[in-house]
Amino acid sequence: MPSAIWTLTDTYNRRSIATTAESPVVGVTSNTVPWELVRAAGFQPVLLSPRKTSTPLADRYMEGVFTARIKGIFDFLISEEAQELKAVIIPRTSEQEHKLYLYLREVMRQGLERPPLPILYNLLHARSHETESYGLDRTRELKAQLEQLSGRKIEPAALRAAVEEGNAAREAIRELLKMREGSLPKVSGAEALALIGAWYFMDRGEYATLAREALAELEARLPLTGPRLLIKGAPQDRPDFTAAVEAQGAIVVAEDDWWGSRAAGGDISLEPVGLKEDPLEAIFEKYYADAPSPRVFPAAIADEWFCRKATEVDGVVFYLPPDDDVLGWDYPRLRELLDERAIPHVMFRTACAEPIAEFLEILAHG
Amino acid sequence: MAEKQLQSSVRAAEFQKNWFAQLRKDVFEDGKPYAIVQADMPLELFQVLDVPVVSNQWWAALVSAKRLAPVYLDGLNAMGFHDGLCRYCSLSLASTIAGDPAQAPWGGLPKPALLAARLTCDCIQRVFELWAEKLGSIFVPLDVPGASELPPRWWELSRHRWSELLEAHRIDFMTAQLRSLIGVLEGISGNSFESERLRELMEGVNRQEEYFEEVRDLICTAPKTPVRMHEQMSNVMAAQWVRGSDWAIEHARQFRDEVKARAEAGIAACPGERLRLMWVGAGLWHDTDLYTAFEEQYGAVFVWSMYLAFGPDGYIRYGLEDPLRALASRTVSFNEQLHNPPWANEWIVDQAKRHRIDAALVLEPLGTRPSATGNRFIERALEQAGIPVLPIAADMVDSRGWDGAAMRARVGQFLESVLDSVS
Repeated sequence: MPSAIWTLTDTYNRRSIATTAESPVVGVTSNTVPWELVRAAGFQPVLLSPRKTSTPLADRYMEGVFTARIKGIFDFLISEEAQELKAVIIPRTSEQEHKLYLYLREVMRQGLERPPLPILYNLLHARSHETESYGLDRTRELKAQLEQLSGRKIEPAALRAAVEEGNAAREAIRELLKMREGSLPKVSGAEALALIGAWYFMDRGEYATLAREALAELEARLPLTGPRLLIKGAPQDRPDFTAAVEAQGAIVVAEDDWWGSRAAGGDISLEPVGLKEDPLEAIFEKYYADAPSPRVFPAAIADEWFCRKATEVDGVVFYLPPDDDVLGWDYPRLRELLDERAIPHVMFRTACAEPIAEFLEILAHG
Repeated sequence: MAEKQLQSSVRAAEFQKNWFAQLRKDVFEDGKPYAIVQADMPLELFQVLDVPVVSNQWWAALVSAKRLAPVYLDGLNAMGFHDGLCRYCSLSLASTIAGDPAQAPWGGLPKPALLAARLTCDCIQRVFELWAEKLGSIFVPLDVPGASELPPRWWELSRHRWSELLEAHRIDFMTAQLRSLIGVLEGISGNSFESERLRELMEGVNRQEEYFEEVRDLICTAPKTPVRMHEQMSNVMAAQWVRGSDWAIEHARQFRDEVKARAEAGIAACPGERLRLMWVGAGLWHDTDLYTAFEEQYGAVFVWSMYLAFGPDGYIRYGLEDPLRALASRTVSFNEQLHNPPWANEWIVDQAKRHRIDAALVLEPLGTRPSATGNRFIERALEQAGIPVLPIAADMVDSRGWDGAAMRARVGQFLESVLDSVS
């Protein structure tokens, strides 16, 4: 029987969208689609993040300005492989996803391709009374769309069950994070990205069980040694950059990234009066106020987690790959903030061994 | 720079220079508040509350035309902002950071009371937040939900049936945000918002755009275009920045009259016109001479850009019982119709047919990602309509890396192939 670590890592690597008659698969394109709502509608929500070395289908329609991840998703959605999906839900929490939705609609309209039904979830992340109220309405609308898709009403009991299932997985992830972040980390960053990232590709009840087993397996390990780093930058949908940093002797103990340290966040709380009866509002609040995205505004809120976490590590690595056109605006401000606190940092556009080693050398010599 | 064929163009340039000088005087001497805003903001609200606005894109174009972009953008890069970041929307920020009023166009931007932007992309909130901090001003964002109802021929609905064209929840949301913005502007200006004043202004905007529509029709129907594209751009945009004002309406009327007189007299912008070209995308502000570079040798004349054409289709709103809601309907969709499928491709092909376009040059912006999307659909649609397309990889404001001679040679080759195919 394979170990829990192996199973989770394999799930992360395969990124399968296997479907069953009981639970048709609905694809989602990032962390800001309410998993609990899709689950409660009777679907298996799966994050779409295919690993593609080329995107010939997408290249017919998408300009070079799209990131490799978005192109990969589009390429997949207009391929035969995507026919298994009942629908794909795309949140409006990044401009590229908004465009992805429009491009899917357009290839359908022109009869050029037959992707699964695209659904736009109009969640906005600039914090204001108006966006909060609007987002809650759109979450209700998404619920209605899912009910129409499944042909059945989403009952509060189903929502509560999905919330509990999701929260159990979140708790397991938070335990895993403790094992990374302590003074004696027992799991590498690259390994952690896989162990955490698996939750996007599987049943979360099953994930929680496996993650707990994985924790027990990790517990038996000897602690890792090396400078403890935090990565800030482009979302890492694969562990290559982290692995390259760690190959030089560092341990990545956290990343400001929904693929890693920020995947779980806090639980969806059903405690306030009334939320147990109808958890929809609590679900919305989670994805509105406790889910990172490039459109979180103002910067003071978007940076909160990073500013706190940066004080707990030996150094910070900024990762701004060539297709970045967003986070580069944050870099000089955050660099200044780290300088004020005397926290060492470095910025890379690609994973080059030599400069990483040089930075670690600087850390080693204080 | 190419000669100005129209008196209107001279008046427009003079107006802008004088307007900005007056703004500086008002701000520095009288402490009058003004705002720096993105071009797709509802400028009408600022006008009715007597808060003048400087558009980020207008200032960037000015900086670029003065050949200052390379030094300003180098400065931004030296501060740690990498060279893959958007330039069109950040050049004005770079000019503020450079902080050299002696070098800056017309003495530079004074400190605004506020900055405001529609969050059209993921980076603009960052650019404006940085800029506001640098200037010591506040920043007011307008968030933008996406459209999921997408009637392709939007321009047939936008004037009278805008409430059908745009989803009610999007309009409601934008209206609520505009109310908040009004509250901020009232606080800054000390003036009270009057719905009637907004209605009157928007009626003025409609009149202004109706004049522009007449100009557009004249270009479509005249045997040869009576007005060059770059003069369309300068005349239209000088009015759009103060749209609905007495000056803007009068300028639009004079511009219409002048173009009409030229058309009736059979005066062509380029008497040797053989090919009618379309420029798809924002202006190439650092090398506007490109727009007249192919007239003499090829008889190729740029007759269309979005700047004039979008005026009537994008701005006009009839049915102003609730002017704020009408304004919200424009604000929520602004920009989408120019860059997003199906709206951009359907509209541009329709425009190409109406303008008897022979070939299109499509800007592929190097440093402004949101403006670069939708291009493949636009190019496919144009080609399917029988219009040859040449993509132009360039930045609107950044001349670094731009080889004007090489581009002219490349466009020349393209035009020769077009001429071969039509002869």
